[in-house]
Amino acid sequence: MLTAAAPPPPHDLAAKPAARTGAHLVVEALEREGVDYVFGYPGGAIMPVYDALPGSRLKHVLVRHEQAAALAADAYGRVSGEPGVCLATSGPGATNLITGIANAFMDSVPMVAITGQVGTSLMGTDAFQEIDVFGVTLPIVKHSFIARSAADIPEIFAEAFALAKGGRPGPVLIDLPKDVTQALGPFPPAGPVPAPAGYASPDPASMRAAEALIRAARRPVLYFGGGIAIARAEAALRDFHDRTRIPAVATLKGLGGLPTEREDFLGMLGMHGTRAANTAVMESDLLICVGARFDDRATGKLDTFAPGAQVIHIDGDASEISKLRRANVALPGDIAAILTQLEPGRLDIAAWRTRCARNAADWAFRYDAPGAGVYAPALLNALSRQAGDRFIVTCDVGQHQMWVAQHCRFSRPQAHLTSAGLGAMGYGIPAGIGALFAEPDATVVTVTGDGSIMMNIQELATLRRYGLPLKIVLLDNSQLGMVRQWQELFYEQNFSEVDLYDNPDFAEVARAFGIEAFTVDRRADVPGAIDRLLKTRGPILAHVRIDPAENVWPLVPPGKSNSDMMEAS
Amino acid sequence: MTCRIDIDFRPGEGAVLRLIGLVERRGFVVRAMSLPPARPGAAARLTLEVSPRDPGRQVETVCAQIAKMYEVVAVAPAWPQALEAAS
Repeated sequence: MLTAAAPPPPHDLAAKPAARTGAHLVVEALEREGVDYVFGYPGGAIMPVYDALPGSRLKHVLVRHEQAAALAADAYGRVSGEPGVCLATSGPGATNLITGIANAFMDSVPMVAITGQVGTSLMGTDAFQEIDVFGVTLPIVKHSFIARSAADIPEIFAEAFALAKGGRPGPVLIDLPKDVTQALGPFPPAGPVPAPAGYASPDPASMRAAEALIRAARRPVLYFGGGIAIARAEAALRDFHDRTRIPAVATLKGLGGLPTEREDFLGMLGMHGTRAANTAVMESDLLICVGARFDDRATGKLDTFAPGAQVIHIDGDASEISKLRRANVALPGDIAAILTQLEPGRLDIAAWRTRCARNAADWAFRYDAPGAGVYAPALLNALSRQAGDRFIVTCDVGQHQMWVAQHCRFSRPQAHLTSAGLGAMGYGIPAGIGALFAEPDATVVTVTGDGSIMMNIQELATLRRYGLPLKIVLLDNSQLGMVRQWQELFYEQNFSEVDLYDNPDFAEVARAFGIEAFTVDRRADVPGAIDRLLKTRGPILAHVRIDPAENVWPLVPPGKSNSDMMEAS
Repeated sequence: MTCRIDIDFRPGEGAVLRLIGLVERRGFVVRAMSLPPARPGAAARLTLEVSPRDPGRQVETVCAQIAKMYEVVAVAPAWPQALEAAS
């Protein structure tokens, strides 16, 4: 359980003194938006806001690096569906947020990032800790604001939150010059909060056209992605799948939209997808793309992707439709409503379902690897099965990320938090922190590697500070494993700067932070290790040594068609 | 091939940078632009003449991306034929 101190009573807004600062308006705006947690790190230009925090009902989570604040806010947003909030000072504080903001942008996560700024008279003068974070982040935010006047703060925050979660979610930046947060009121009361933008009803003619295509198809595939989680549309997806039984595949971000063991679900497609999923897509005559975007990691060589398929594209973001693959039928709008209203009727796909199911059985992953060393895919599969339906896994980036996607069992989209679009090493532990604040009763596991953990290892201190029961599985091959795998396969074994032979003793490092830790290096010890991880009430790290030569299979080589899958030799 | 894009937008801080930046990032070269003064409180109109950096870039896609932007009120592409007819 979380051990953060009980929050003080909320502000009594009616009892506020007439003269308040802009920083008090910031705090009140966050309270009005229903924000519970703010992930942040103080510094010079944001000090007025920190000065206004005590006595508010906001709970501040002090991380040890601003990047972790943004990544934790990202995970909080993914799990809760509400914007995660991060807070940092100007200059380096702001630039340290950038990886997390970019991560939220790439994966369409609702976030409000708040930065301090030098005073307005100093902006543009290269002042101490001045950086134009508004300009720097323009390509990676859904929108951004500079509060030029304290009186604008309530409206800016209301717009920022509505924007962050409306339509296709994303990060919104608010830059707060210090003189604005220090300014004394009185200020006019906040206006009404704008409602998030809604969707128009789906076009009836397009709906009928889609139903006709589905009825006519003999080899349809349901291809779904992160848009399911964004729209909280998993119930509608499952209902549509119940009614049609169309063989289904998921993108990396789509995993959990359908439960892993569900009949007619073939797993992940793409570069490290299953052979059954990629084969079904390549043989399909109709792709029903739902909340996915024909990303290059999913499609491989685009002009050979599903060459015989027509496309129905359903997406909350109209600009994704026909961006990379022309849609025969476009259905922009509310994904859940569209899936619920689609009534294709009786389908003639029994032979196709049988073929896909047979492929899935024939090409199922095996866990009987030779040797006595720890086989990471088997460990992850067993761990996710034992963890139950309240399991949330947060991944770092590398081989272990793909093993999680391939071998873990997911019962809901929020069970799998991964840096999919940006591929940011260092996501795992901060994301575990954010997930635990969003869903304290969940069994949250971070799967990381010996490369990734070093990107944000300082956050072990945050786990300790708040007593967060994060379970960390560190798969240590003493390599930058995915880079090594590519150098082995595509760079003629020219292994360049991937050997991490001089890693620290990670269990000792964890213990130095006050985290329980142990090391596993034999397969026979895996069941006991899983039990210990799941039964420990506080934070714990399992340092698992694995074979440095182990690769992720199957693999579609970069630039190749998804039909050109490589397997272990 | 050059296309013209007419964008009506609320001229908030950074809006022009945001619009031009998006067009360039999404694979178009800005060949010319005009931004006449807007009346106070009224939408501004930015007209861009753009050409794709490669044949895979579609003006409909970038217009859909522009249309999503918070300040944008309306966006409309003018096709090459229309530009020729107008010139």
